[in-house]
Amino acid sequence: MSEKRAAALYGWLLRLYPAAFREQYGDEALALFRDRYRDERGLMARTRLWMDLLADLAASVPRERRRFKMGAMALAAHRTGMPSFQVLEDESLRPSMAISGAAVSTVAFCICWILMSHWTWQSRAESDINGVGARAVVTIAAPTGSSEAGRNEKMLAPAAAASGVDPEQVAQAAALNLERYYVDHEAARKIADGLRQRAKAGAYNGAGDGRALAAMLTKDLMALSGGDRALTVNYFEAPLPEGPRAVSAESAARYREAVQAQNCMIRTAEVQPDHVGYIRLDGFPDPGVCEAKARAAMAKINGADAIIFDLRENGGGYPGMVALIAAYLFDHPEYLYNPREATTANSWTRSPVNGNRLAGKPVFLLISPRTRSGAEQFAYDLKALKRATLVGEKTGGAAHSGVFHRIDDHFGMGIPEVRAINPFGEGDWEGVGIEPDVKTPADAALATAEKLAAARAREIDALRRITAR
Amino acid sequence: MARKKFDPLPSAAFQILVALAGEDLHGYGIMRQVQQQTGGRTRLGPGTLYGSIRALLDERLIEEIESGAGSEAERRRFYRLTAAGRGMARAEAERLADLLRAARANNLLEGDRV
Repeated sequence: MSEKRAAALYGWLLRLYPAAFREQYGDEALALFRDRYRDERGLMARTRLWMDLLADLAASVPRERRRFKMGAMALAAHRTGMPSFQVLEDESLRPSMAISGAAVSTVAFCICWILMSHWTWQSRAESDINGVGARAVVTIAAPTGSSEAGRNEKMLAPAAAASGVDPEQVAQAAALNLERYYVDHEAARKIADGLRQRAKAGAYNGAGDGRALAAMLTKDLMALSGGDRALTVNYFEAPLPEGPRAVSAESAARYREAVQAQNCMIRTAEVQPDHVGYIRLDGFPDPGVCEAKARAAMAKINGADAIIFDLRENGGGYPGMVALIAAYLFDHPEYLYNPREATTANSWTRSPVNGNRLAGKPVFLLISPRTRSGAEQFAYDLKALKRATLVGEKTGGAAHSGVFHRIDDHFGMGIPEVRAINPFGEGDWEGVGIEPDVKTPADAALATAEKLAAARAREIDALRRITAR
Repeated sequence: MARKKFDPLPSAAFQILVALAGEDLHGYGIMRQVQQQTGGRTRLGPGTLYGSIRALLDERLIEEIESGAGSEAERRRFYRLTAAGRGMARAEAERLADLLRAARANNLLEGDRV
């Protein structure tokens, strides 16, 4: 449609407004329409424009007419005691009104028709792709498909007392999520069928509350999957937000600020008189924010003959930072196993690091039950590569390898979506933790490691003197 | 009268006041600004826009100014926030900020994972 014709059509539609409004704002409204028509091109944009206009007419025409009528009635009310008649519209109904009425219906009909055919096509395409047909349409709990949301899972505390929980619905939605996202499709079908059968048999109807139901489902998922600990159903008392968690510029700025205020979680980085480098990391923050600080800390201990990483208070963080620090400990790229991400080029450390002298030096890690997630990855890989001696207590056992999916307001589930190559063994450390090489209470771990590290540093120093001669 | 009519302040009227808090704008400019400040969610149609503008003019929360430049056909009416309009927009913004604080306190908005 040309702009001129479209404007003429909208000009007709404007006649639905009272004359007073038209006189005052008719031209402006038409000018605004022209601007939008010029700026918004393409079928979708134009369709949206007309939809907007019709919605606007439907909302504002009655309002303006009511307003106009009220004004007239207020005028009439001044003459008390006498019946009075007011002519509200000073124009008679012209034949063009019938035409504009016909135009409105035609436009509305066309838009409905276009949208309906579009939607039918889209939903058909969707069910073809998913291969779950009508089930995908009737499910009350569409999975969110957000992988970022999952990292939050353990921060919300599960609590008792759920009202209005339908166990069968939760189980059905969990089964559907499994079929869609679980890394092993064949196994997913079997587990989902098992879950559905148990739900149908009423196995979950006895669950007292949401938390008990989540525990029952998790236990069954573990049994049906043959022991996949990352497969969980979780209950949250506070309603879960809908849709994927967006990372806004604002929250990114807040993170940057908070992490910088904490000196990028680097508490200490120094070389002691006995040539032992001590570095305490309370987290592995985003390398996008902290790369320079992390590199500066590693440079500070570059002259050490043995290194102690204190991870006793390290709750994890970004795999990128784990890889960045681990790179200093090797003179060639080394594969780091990370259960949360599929294997890519980033799974190897970027070793060697220019000017770095730590690649061959003995490494000791201090660990405790509070060493979790990303810190456990660091410990697991260095232990498996026989690159570090772990001193202290068994770690927390939080691999967080399941990606979070929302089931409904109170239920979510963790589903492993990828299977990273683990050259070092079976599975990850979820629920089991990582055993130390030298068992000692976490509080005494530093003293123990210092003795071991100092002895190794002396050996290296002696060797250096011999070769220098 | 103004207080009664705009209590509560309709969403469209508040959006327009906020849009005009930045600069003087004509109708299309207001529409674009509102679209921008709501992340594209709100597109005010001409009827709603000018209906609200007239109501705001009636209550002297905004005023009309001459655009000056341009030919007769291109000359548009620009609108400017009055002191009363600015006060009302600020009061509404403070009310929303209070509500936001309450929402945060009740864990409707999550903190960020660090």
